[in-house]
Amino acid sequence: MMKRSGFLLGAVSGLAVVANTDTIFSRALAESPLPGLPGGTDRVLVVINFQGGNDGLNTVVPFGMPDYYRYRPSLGVPQNAVLRIDDTFGFNPVLAPFKQMFDKGNVAVVHGVGYPDPDHSHFRSTEIWQTAHPKGYESTGWIGRYLDEAALPKNNLFNAVALSNVLPEAMQSKTADVPAIDALRTYGLRSDKNAGNKEAFHEFVRDTTVPFRSPFLAKVAEIEDHAQRGAEELPKLIAGYQTQATYPATPLGRSLALAAQIVGSKLGTRVLYVNHGSFDTHVTQKQTQERLLGDFANAIAAFYQDLAAHGNDKRVLTMTFSEFGRRVPENASRGTDHGEAAPVFLIGGGVKGGLYGQHPDLNRLNAGNLAFTTDFRQVYATVLERWLGRPSAPIVGGTFSTLAALA
Amino acid sequence: MAAQANAPASYRPAGSLDASSALQPYAGPWNRRLAAHLLRRAGFGGAPADVDRIAGMSARDAVDGFINFPNTGSLAARPALQDPPVPPRGLYQGFMQGMAADAATVDARKAFQMQNNRTRRENLIAMQQWWLGRMIASPAPLQEKMTLFWHGHFTSSPEKQTSAQELLMQNQLFREYALGNVRDLTLHVSQDPAMLRYLDNNVNVKAHPNENYARELMELFTLGIGNYTEQDIRESARAFTGWTFRKNPDGTGSFYDNRNVHDDGTKTFLGQTGNFSGSDIVNIIFQQPAASKLFATKLLSFFVYMDPEPQLVNQVAALIVKNNFELKPVMSTLLRSNVFFSDRAYRALVKSPVEFVVGTHQLFGIPEVAPVELATLRAMGQVLFYPPNVKGWDGGAAWLSSATILTRENFANAMAQNPKMMQGADWIASAMRAMEPRTVAKTLTDTMLQGDVSPASTAQLVAYLGGAGQSALAELSHENVDERVRNAAYLTMAMPAFQLA
Repeated sequence: MMKRSGFLLGAVSGLAVVANTDTIFSRALAESPLPGLPGGTDRVLVVINFQGGNDGLNTVVPFGMPDYYRYRPSLGVPQNAVLRIDDTFGFNPVLAPFKQMFDKGNVAVVHGVGYPDPDHSHFRSTEIWQTAHPKGYESTGWIGRYLDEAALPKNNLFNAVALSNVLPEAMQSKTADVPAIDALRTYGLRSDKNAGNKEAFHEFVRDTTVPFRSPFLAKVAEIEDHAQRGAEELPKLIAGYQTQATYPATPLGRSLALAAQIVGSKLGTRVLYVNHGSFDTHVTQKQTQERLLGDFANAIAAFYQDLAAHGNDKRVLTMTFSEFGRRVPENASRGTDHGEAAPVFLIGGGVKGGLYGQHPDLNRLNAGNLAFTTDFRQVYATVLERWLGRPSAPIVGGTFSTLAALA
Repeated sequence: MAAQANAPASYRPAGSLDASSALQPYAGPWNRRLAAHLLRRAGFGGAPADVDRIAGMSARDAVDGFINFPNTGSLAARPALQDPPVPPRGLYQGFMQGMAADAATVDARKAFQMQNNRTRRENLIAMQQWWLGRMIASPAPLQEKMTLFWHGHFTSSPEKQTSAQELLMQNQLFREYALGNVRDLTLHVSQDPAMLRYLDNNVNVKAHPNENYARELMELFTLGIGNYTEQDIRESARAFTGWTFRKNPDGTGSFYDNRNVHDDGTKTFLGQTGNFSGSDIVNIIFQQPAASKLFATKLLSFFVYMDPEPQLVNQVAALIVKNNFELKPVMSTLLRSNVFFSDRAYRALVKSPVEFVVGTHQLFGIPEVAPVELATLRAMGQVLFYPPNVKGWDGGAAWLSSATILTRENFANAMAQNPKMMQGADWIASAMRAMEPRTVAKTLTDTMLQGDVSPASTAQLVAYLGGAGQSALAELSHENVDERVRNAAYLTMAMPAFQLA
């Protein structure tokens, strides 16, 4: 009675989708070429959100600018400690593994990224970065709009995956249903551990031959089906992957290990999203920021080592961002307050490494803050056009010049 | 194909509106299905006993019962909140001047800041638990539902260091004006400390006008884009200069009209000229036809169905104007109307996370909200006192994604497995005693879904309870009945109808 395949969804709604779990995840489908993608068929974008506002000045340190030490009497990274990029800039010493990636030409640093009329609220500034909409309120995110535009295989449940317990606003989409996976261990329906429950759930969520009509009935049935099948299938689909690096035993390390596993299992995933934080360093910044940046450096180095061992390092671009940088003058609690512009990293085998854009002028502060020199939508446009192969204007809401950091 | 994928899906119900009778009182058959519909929309779903009680009244008396709020004195009027900590004397001496501090002072400031953050966090948790508890237990569910409606409309959040006490004041204002006069409420909101902070009117002064409040007041709160100009925003921002608040030691604030920084020059706003104050601006706004249409659309989308027809919007807007923006008679008409009880409106909305959680508590008779459920609500996409932005929650399809649905189902499962469930839901316990799969299945689907289930699913539920199916469960017995019935209750919640309001 409870047969699993070929169940017709939505007799009432008229939504004629045959959900056949045996073929829906076929690798052939997931690996089919993407229309409009230059060169490759399988590029991936990984976004890492430095939550809470990371202090860019102590990440990429402008040690050659004397004003830096004037503004950062106790927090400044000493000249002899920075990992020198050139005579002006160097990385925070905790970023040593990351500096090695930079030296190999796999890291582009984009200076001074921000947006006009900066908002100093975490909430609002995060929303602006996520929606790519500095004025007004948008219900979809920039990645969500990419998913709406990109014509990815509709029945692939893993076109994009958030490695978080809450779906980030950036991935809110009109058409795509992005799963949010905090950890494989907790992902899925708890009741599915019981085979009888799993089977019954599978049938009930498809029950649309009900004695009422609702404009949302087909949508609810579809999403419930996605939720169950996605959680059931993902662990199986990625089970064959062998991790080839030692990741730090931190949330970021675990997330990036899972990201490499998903990428390496060739599910057709185009975008992954990972959180890291919290960087909100109002008080005694040094300990917190260096712990988080050190964790980032170790995790990202392991990630690319793992990717390279599977031949995936050139098809994965990682982009970091934070909702804002921090105030240039340190505060009286050995911390920094909410600021404005900060650097963005583009990382991967497909990146043309180096420094891009202008570092904000420490002599021309915007009420104590760094004035942005590169609009964040230029970075998004670069990633969309030069990496994901989509026109950026409809997604970021206007035409923005791209950066040469990607071929 | 791409264009098709981008076409915004409409969630207006199929079929056509009968405009001539839409707002006439419904006089058709009255039953448990419609009683439950009324409970879901004018409240949060209610307990099975509430459905029976309302099904036993006339439709007219039932709606009157919602509209005329009974006394809610049995509920906690406010949560227990901690006063904000007071910094030790001199702790921040020289701070504003950027003077360096010694190590002991740095540590003391850090400790103070942590204490302050902890107080804020604990107060917000207390507020959320208190409000959810009121929603579950209130004998005036429509009062709480309207409070939630206003919270999603006139949005404010703890951003900008707004205290829990200030947000509580705003919440009490929404409750007081739940079915009150919308114009008066808008004026009070314009003078509400949480709002003054949230949209920066506390820094709107003659020398540096800040347009944030004036813009959102018109764009999102009252008129909608296209019904005013940028010049109207600038002029009305001038009228609101000086509207700020004074902080009280208990964390609340009091409205303060600071005439020293008020721009008392002549303003021209929406075609009228005068030395306008903020109150004048609110009055002029409510003279515009766009205002009644905006509230009509919002009320219909929240209480009846999404994307309502312009004809229906116009009828409700006319009703609002006729009643001089008094909401009680408007909601009274709407909730007893043909369109409200029509097949097109039935199950035509998606339950919000708050409705889903509160309704499930009511269903199973579990009054307490555990702190973990606040994280659950967050994963479902709705945090009380934290609307996502000034626009509030989009609702409808925006609630539905794999991520949020997994959270809903796992929450439903946790509730079904909750040890207290069988005590609260005596209706399940009594059905269980028969040890008869058919009786249990019928009780579950009748009580939880008002029979909105297909014969096939009912048969499957009976089979599941009786031990049939691929997995070959044992037959129902005293050993397995508790577990089996809890699982069946969960599976009933997995049916699509349970996600729909």
